[in-house]
Amino acid sequence: SHIYKKNHDVTKTWKGKTEHLLRVDDHDFTMRPAFGGPAIPVGVDVQVESLDSISEVDMDFTMTLYLRHYWKDERLSFPSTTNKSMTFDGRLVKKIWVPDVFFVHSKRSFIHDTTTDNIMLRVFPDGHVLYSMRITVTAMCNMDFSRFPLDSQTCSLELESYAYTDEDLMLYWKNGNESLKTDEKISLSQFLIQKFHTTSRLAFYSSTGWYNRLYINFTLRRHIFFFLLQTYFPATLMVMLSWVSFWIDRRAVPARVSLGITTVLTMSTIITGVNASMPRVSYIKAVDIYLWVSFVFVFLSVLEYAAVNYLTTVQERKERKLWERFPCMCGIPHSKTMMLDGNYSESDANSLTGYTRNQMVPEEGKQEKMVVHLAMSNESNSSRKRGLKGHVGLRIIQNTHAIDKYSRLIFPGTYIFFNLIYWSVFS
Amino acid sequence: GSPIPVGIDVQVESIDSISEVDMDFTMTLYLRHYWKDERLSFRSNKNKSMTFDGRLIKKIWVPDVFFVHSKRSFIHDTTVENVMLRVYPDGNVLFSLRITVSAMCFMDFSRFPLDTQNCSLELESYAYNEDDLMLYWKHGNKSLSTDEHISLSQFFIEEFSASSGLAFYSSTGWYNRLFINFALRRHIFFFVLQSYFPAMLMVMLSWVSFWIDRRAVPARVSLGITTVLTMSTIMTGVSASMPQVSYIKAVDVYLWISFLFVFLSVIEYAAVNYLTTIEERKQLKKRGKASGMYSIDAVQAMAFDGCFHDTDVEMDLTAFSDRCEENETRARAASVSNVDTTRIKRKRSLKGNVGKIILQNNHVIDTYSRIIFPSVYIVFNLFYWGLYI
Repeated sequence: SHIYKKNHDVTKTWKGKTEHLLRVDDHDFTMRPAFGGPAIPVGVDVQVESLDSISEVDMDFTMTLYLRHYWKDERLSFPSTTNKSMTFDGRLVKKIWVPDVFFVHSKRSFIHDTTTDNIMLRVFPDGHVLYSMRITVTAMCNMDFSRFPLDSQTCSLELESYAYTDEDLMLYWKNGNESLKTDEKISLSQFLIQKFHTTSRLAFYSSTGWYNRLYINFTLRRHIFFFLLQTYFPATLMVMLSWVSFWIDRRAVPARVSLGITTVLTMSTIITGVNASMPRVSYIKAVDIYLWVSFVFVFLSVLEYAAVNYLTTVQERKERKLWERFPCMCGIPHSKTMMLDGNYSESDANSLTGYTRNQMVPEEGKQEKMVVHLAMSNESNSSRKRGLKGHVGLRIIQNTHAIDKYSRLIFPGTYIFFNLIYWSVFS
Repeated sequence: GSPIPVGIDVQVESIDSISEVDMDFTMTLYLRHYWKDERLSFRSNKNKSMTFDGRLIKKIWVPDVFFVHSKRSFIHDTTVENVMLRVYPDGNVLFSLRITVSAMCFMDFSRFPLDTQNCSLELESYAYNEDDLMLYWKHGNKSLSTDEHISLSQFFIEEFSASSGLAFYSSTGWYNRLFINFALRRHIFFFVLQSYFPAMLMVMLSWVSFWIDRRAVPARVSLGITTVLTMSTIMTGVSASMPQVSYIKAVDVYLWISFLFVFLSVIEYAAVNYLTTIEERKQLKKRGKASGMYSIDAVQAMAFDGCFHDTDVEMDLTAFSDRCEENETRARAASVSNVDTTRIKRKRSLKGNVGKIILQNNHVIDTYSRIIFPSVYIVFNLFYWGLYI
């Protein structure tokens, strides 16, 4: 009644519907503007909202962006006193002509449609159109992993018109290099985004001709910290752990063997872990070099102990054979037997036999010593004590095989040298 | 009237992925059709074609080509449907689409990872058989072109070739079918680094056991068993990303034979240890010793029970206990009580027992194994690589 009469329904008294205003039905919008005439220039502007993910295994990246097109279609011009533009949402798009830009080398893409299609159309009185949409696109990026994880990847997103060659549609960056803007807080967890820049080129298709192609290029530098913590540091620690074996008494056979073999097992596990999340490339990666060289170091420490053990056993056998040559050892006091094989005796009850000095005493020398000591069979205890003192040092020193002694210096030295070369080459 | 000839031209943009587990491949391509429809001819003095985007398709006739044996496919539609229509004045039409299709490819893994897979994408008209629509490659073998930088990380794409054939359906007749064939050769480097090389190293590590003194029982056993464990882990790792096929693959052959070598080295040491024990028992019986006590030096004692001894001990070789301290005190107590008679006893033990216990440091089985295992493994490798490469 009274209330309703007062509230004027503005839309009902409007001159006409949108279609009438824009005279949409008067024209055939399946044809591009200036059909049959010169190419229509379409300016493109992009604002990158986010880089969602970079996948090494699939070699692609996912980006969400606002894509804006600017062109002039005189069929859409309308009289206006205020020179203000009219804004429409996605439903008008189906009725007019819009450029058919697509992303070359894209795998999947979609226009967001929550709550309605994220599309905007703004028409200016003189026929200029601004067409904007929000898209997420997953596109291919050829990645080179030969320096992984100290690598930089350069990826690009390419825009092109699907149907119209450069004689019909000229695609260009609206503001040159400034056309590409990024949100302030665009960042990835694993990468540092070095720069975004734009380029444009022509692309040729043998069956269809030359097309304008616009490129959005960006460079990503990988943060190495994660890999340092996850891969490099454990590998280095495993190699250092394998060096511990050189400082352990060589008579402790189970200990040294299990130390060596367990470090090999751990290195093998680390190597498997790294390759789980990587594509199966046909060349060697930087991280592979490091891990395999470390694996070789650990492997060599096991072989080193096998050599030490084997040589010690051989020596011991020779000593035994030498011992067995002398038929009667009765009445030989400790000092004599000590001189004979360099063994250390702590008391009458015990004697340490086994691995003896490295140098092989020639048999003649031994016999001589034997004769000398037989003559001195009635020596007093004091000389024995003196002998004890002297031979303690001798005996303990010879518990280390020469190979072990050298390995304690060679292995760490070589590994440090390798590290210096590796980090200077790849950093 | 007569069947309409439709020429096909394909430009492959990329092969996105090859999946062994699903036995399929995903390809993105530009599919172009060429035919003549006189109803679309228009008058033109310039003989220039008219280009339209996707909206005209709904209003005219287009061929209904589909991909036989495809699992999923879609026409890209960002920002609008990636479709192009170009009409020439005489009625010739060029219809181009950008499609991503996942199609089946039957793969044979009996030579994996030294294998080559042949896959093909098949195009056919769905409704029109060869009486109505003749599908043919527009430029013969040159109809198939590929982007410059088409490459896969794991495969080397050997060749793309186009062929055509007829397919018969019992209910509907004969259809023209076009094939896009390509061969993929797998890069073996990744598998060499990931599977073959670790397996080889593990086998070599198991040979280290033959060079270690056979009295070091814990050492040799743990060496053998840990290499078996690592081999087992490597094998599980390879099978994780493979389909569960019913035949043996080339990589399986290698890994299982390497596993057998490692396993045999453990068995070899069990044999050596058993025979050594029998020998010792025979020695014991010969000498007629009442007790099982032996005076053995610290080294042998350490090798035997893995506990550190710094002096000679008298140990009961038959009574082995896990606790090192127990062993140690028992051994020391035994030796201390023998102070007086030690000299004579030691002499005898030094001369007789020591020499006999450390009979020979290697058993003859070890000596032979040091040569047999490596040489048999090398022969196996020569056979394997000669056969498969």
